[in-house]
Amino acid sequence: MKVHYKINGKDYEFDIHPGKVLLDILRENGFTEVKGNCYMGTCGACTVLINGTPKTSCTVLAAQVNGAEITTVKGLGDILNPHPLQKAFVEKGAVQCGYCTPGTILAAYALLKENSNPTDEDIKKAIDGNLCRCTGYVQQVEAIKYAITLLKEGK
Amino acid sequence: MEKQVIGKNVEKIDALALATGQPVYADDIKLPNTLHIKFLYSPHANAIIEDIDTTEAEKLPGVHMVLTYKNTPQVYHTTAGQGWPEPSPYDTCMFNQHVRFVGDRVAAVAAESEEIATEALKLIKVKYNVLPAVFDPEEAMKEGAPIIHEENPQGTYDAKRNLVAHIEVKAGNVEKGFEEADVVVEHTFETQFAQHCPIETHATISYLDENGRIVIRSSTQVPFHVRRIVAQVLGIPVSQIRVIKPRIGGGFGSKQEIILEEVCAFVTMKTGRPARAVYTREEEFISSRTRHPMKITVKIGAKKDGRFTAIKMYALSNTGAYGTHGLTVASNTGSKTLPLYNKAPNVEFVADVVYTNLPVPGAYRGYGATQGYACLEQTVDMVAEKLGLDPIAIRKINHIRKGETSPIFEALGEGREGVVQYIESEAVDKLLELGAKEIGFYEKWGKKVRNGSKVRGVGMSLHMQGSGIPKIDMGSATIKLNEDGSVNVLYGGTDIGTGLDTVVAQIVGEVLGIDPKKVIVYPSDTDVTPFDKGAYASSGTFISGSAVYNTALKLRDQILEVAKDMFGEQDNKDYILKDGFVISPKSGKRVSLSEIAYDTFYVKKQKQIIAVGSFVSESSPPPFAAHFVEIEVDEETGVITPIKYAAAVDCGIVINPELTKGQIIGAIVNGIGYALTEEYKFGENGKVLNPNFMEYRIPSSRDIPEIVPILVETYEPTGPLGAKSVSEININGPIPAIGNALYDALGIRLGSSPYTPDKVLKALKENKDKEIF
Amino acid sequence: MLKLKNVEECFYPETLEEAIAILREKGDKAKVVGGGLHLTVFPNPQVQYFIFLDNLGLNYVREENGTVSIGATVTINNAAKSDLIKGFFNGNLSSALSLIASELLRNQITFGGSVAQREPYSDITTILLALDTEVVYFDGSEHTEKIDEFFETDFRAKLKEAIIKEVRFKKFDSSYKFGMERHVRNATDIALLNMAMLAQIEENKIKDIIVSYGSRPMPAIRFKALEDFLKGKDLNEAVKEVYSFAKENADVKGDIRRDEQYRRELTGVFAKRLLESFGR
Repeated sequence: MKVHYKINGKDYEFDIHPGKVLLDILRENGFTEVKGNCYMGTCGACTVLINGTPKTSCTVLAAQVNGAEITTVKGLGDILNPHPLQKAFVEKGAVQCGYCTPGTILAAYALLKENSNPTDEDIKKAIDGNLCRCTGYVQQVEAIKYAITLLKEGK
Repeated sequence: MEKQVIGKNVEKIDALALATGQPVYADDIKLPNTLHIKFLYSPHANAIIEDIDTTEAEKLPGVHMVLTYKNTPQVYHTTAGQGWPEPSPYDTCMFNQHVRFVGDRVAAVAAESEEIATEALKLIKVKYNVLPAVFDPEEAMKEGAPIIHEENPQGTYDAKRNLVAHIEVKAGNVEKGFEEADVVVEHTFETQFAQHCPIETHATISYLDENGRIVIRSSTQVPFHVRRIVAQVLGIPVSQIRVIKPRIGGGFGSKQEIILEEVCAFVTMKTGRPARAVYTREEEFISSRTRHPMKITVKIGAKKDGRFTAIKMYALSNTGAYGTHGLTVASNTGSKTLPLYNKAPNVEFVADVVYTNLPVPGAYRGYGATQGYACLEQTVDMVAEKLGLDPIAIRKINHIRKGETSPIFEALGEGREGVVQYIESEAVDKLLELGAKEIGFYEKWGKKVRNGSKVRGVGMSLHMQGSGIPKIDMGSATIKLNEDGSVNVLYGGTDIGTGLDTVVAQIVGEVLGIDPKKVIVYPSDTDVTPFDKGAYASSGTFISGSAVYNTALKLRDQILEVAKDMFGEQDNKDYILKDGFVISPKSGKRVSLSEIAYDTFYVKKQKQIIAVGSFVSESSPPPFAAHFVEIEVDEETGVITPIKYAAAVDCGIVINPELTKGQIIGAIVNGIGYALTEEYKFGENGKVLNPNFMEYRIPSSRDIPEIVPILVETYEPTGPLGAKSVSEININGPIPAIGNALYDALGIRLGSSPYTPDKVLKALKENKDKEIF
Repeated sequence: MLKLKNVEECFYPETLEEAIAILREKGDKAKVVGGGLHLTVFPNPQVQYFIFLDNLGLNYVREENGTVSIGATVTINNAAKSDLIKGFFNGNLSSALSLIASELLRNQITFGGSVAQREPYSDITTILLALDTEVVYFDGSEHTEKIDEFFETDFRAKLKEAIIKEVRFKKFDSSYKFGMERHVRNATDIALLNMAMLAQIEENKIKDIIVSYGSRPMPAIRFKALEDFLKGKDLNEAVKEVYSFAKENADVKGDIRRDEQYRRELTGVFAKRLLESFGR
């Protein structure tokens, strides 16, 4: 069946098997920034925003979100023009192997859209579905807090 | 001279690429005509494949190859990525006729898609001759136990008793030491199976380049060992293989192993097509590698004044179905723990490494030291209590100090004899002081502060590790100068997310006086970069970094020669390199590296300024760490909540503080998971029952205490710019520190990890029952 | 990798009647999809048709005439973050909801799906049982049943030809208190035992009380024996006695995650703690 998505602001049409999950459709079509393969919604590396809400794309049926706006981490910024969240993660040592990073940044982005002044507990709760085995989360939380100041300064 | 870039938080050079989702991991490329590989696994813990019929599977449209032991090279090798000759048994072929654990490889299908490959697996008909299995190492050593490796592999100690290794190391006479002691304490502790859980599972892609050579692009920690072992298994020359390490989504030791590469390369070799194998999360748990579960018994004798007279450690290590890192991990259990308390003149270490029919342990951050410290650091606390000393005091009396040595260094290497070494950098007393202060140890210890049913306790533990494997681990680098004063560093070192590439850029930047942004690092590609043993044994900064450092010095010499010529001076000994310039302090003359490059490329006495260097270490200078934790235990539910965790760490000179902190914190959080929640559950038949994140619980952002890493710098003269290592040591702290804190809070000690709430409640009840009587 | 390989067609009905018609026509091979979690995490390769509920307008959280209605496709986060739910029980209901699972799953777990699947470890069913919830489902006509009674029928058979429309409960006044306890291995875990209580406290007496507990490891049910034991008791007295009674009468078993003894112990502890919290 045919599905349409707006991915990172651009319109796409894919011909898909209706039983597929969104993660597979995205990676098969070049969106390799969406990662992970637990297929149970438990690691969070496949996180994307679907109409602004962060979800694990491995548990979302591609057919169910036909017509949705999907945001991957590249929708926030790219290597030439990074988003303040991406810059903050880099500056605060929050990126080690980087595999969980795109998903975590998207979860943080969704939090900040909803709550521009989160507490540490709010932040930890917002990224609690994005497992990280490298950083131990401390620098990720610092990075998100730093991103808030960057955003306020209009960077 | 004042440090220019060492000690600065230079941004991790690949961090922006990773944060913006660049396609840099193994499976981020898509090659046309790729064959996808899926594996069939044994449902039995111990069985011989009597018959395997793949004809139906082969007929399925889209299937190109079905691999079994019948049509793949029967070359016995080790999957452990270690130096050669490998200190591990050659006890497996790519596919074996004898399968030895539930999850062992039976067959593989290479097909046009993952779905077709998976369908084809169902069509493979296997007839097993099921054999009795053994899961307990003590049982496995007994007479009459099933012999797991009947082929008596090269490199095992006694395959008839399922012994991969037996280690015995003695110094002095421990029995005499115990007799002389005023108190003797013996304690046994069992650590559990655990998995590294890298968020990126094992992933390998192989293909033929335009000249028909095999290229392997793999999520690996050991590209050069991959090349050698794949060549060995496929029976082709090393020159026919190129291994490229892309960005790695975490390894922690699980990828210090040759697991998927030989299968992919074989398929590519036979079909000419690219081959792809990516483990699912379930396969990662069952069929990659795990941590060696160990039963450790420590016996310590001490005099009234606190000085140890004897330490004896026995480690029974379960190495699962294949030997891999069995010997070396168990060696580390003794070699990275016992020297810490060198005041004991009598030391003995005995270890048995035993095959069982269980998923295969391999290398895992900490590498045996974690298991050793789990028991040792709790036994030390028990001794202190008997003597009426506090935990910090007893360690101050017994720990190794600068200038000292331990007989264990020489007696216990990794699979061979070790190396005599003396401690040249150490600040343990400072670590103990700062860690204790941060936690408020003296104020809180023994106070058992209560809040309803919740009781607080504090505990600590002391650790050392190593920096690389002495006289074995080697790294090398090539550095060349470019027109704009930038340099290319081609080095074999393997950054698996740790930030080694950035450390390298800083080292080169420091030596050549240039901005690390002008250091272009190209790592671990066996065609392009010189050799490096790979990412393990806490050797990135120390070994790979030293190689780069040596090479940078050589390059600097060449630069200074040219500069001297250009200045028309006689002597360049006091020239300075700073901000991209060479400066002669006496005359004030200066020339930029860029000018030197243009001159030597194009103008006169043309040559490429380039240097190559290697490094192997005579010693393995240990980093030290003192861990302090405050926990809260709920007496009614048994739930342990870490409140605050402080780690004072001496890793020599700190090259990049933010990266160093990241290593410390990450290791601590992993260790907390290992201490409190992570465990494998097995069915009666040896099947893993919880191979997923829903049931195998690793910490999330909501599970961390306040964590305070404290960096205490010392200067290690044998390290690059004074640095040691930091990546493993801190995972060793949580089990003993939390165990000691639990004792402080509730007066109970658990005999095994993880410290789950039901275990705590049971122990509390037993304790109460004891008190009544 | 594709697991649901036999799916042929997807439907996006815009009315419940339409949805039921498709469900009737396609029968067993059709699956109603709320959040989709159950289908994707435990894929059943037999499924041939998806009936997506997203266009039925069932994502409301509203109150009308003293009744709170939560539409079937409302997610845990939709509810937890809604001002209406935040306003109940001093925020206790909202905070209980926001601790369940992880943020990414709270954005996908739906109320309708939770009732329809009735997973043994479901926290939503425990909560709904405690709130004396009614389930409203549509099979051509609308039916309303108390959730505990609904679960005692063959509700899975009912749902083969019906779709859950909403759940509803009374808007409880300030004399009612609500609390929930969960035993987890770590923060984002499923519950290994959960308990919820809704109590009407007047002059320190338990005027009325509902207790539900789940992940026993069996699915959540009302703890009626405990309710009868507690009704009418003075709160302080109840706190003293409830641990033993709950522990002794708990209908719990052991499984691979926790043994029976531990679940039994926690049942007692949870009951005591919940009552204690009502006294504060």
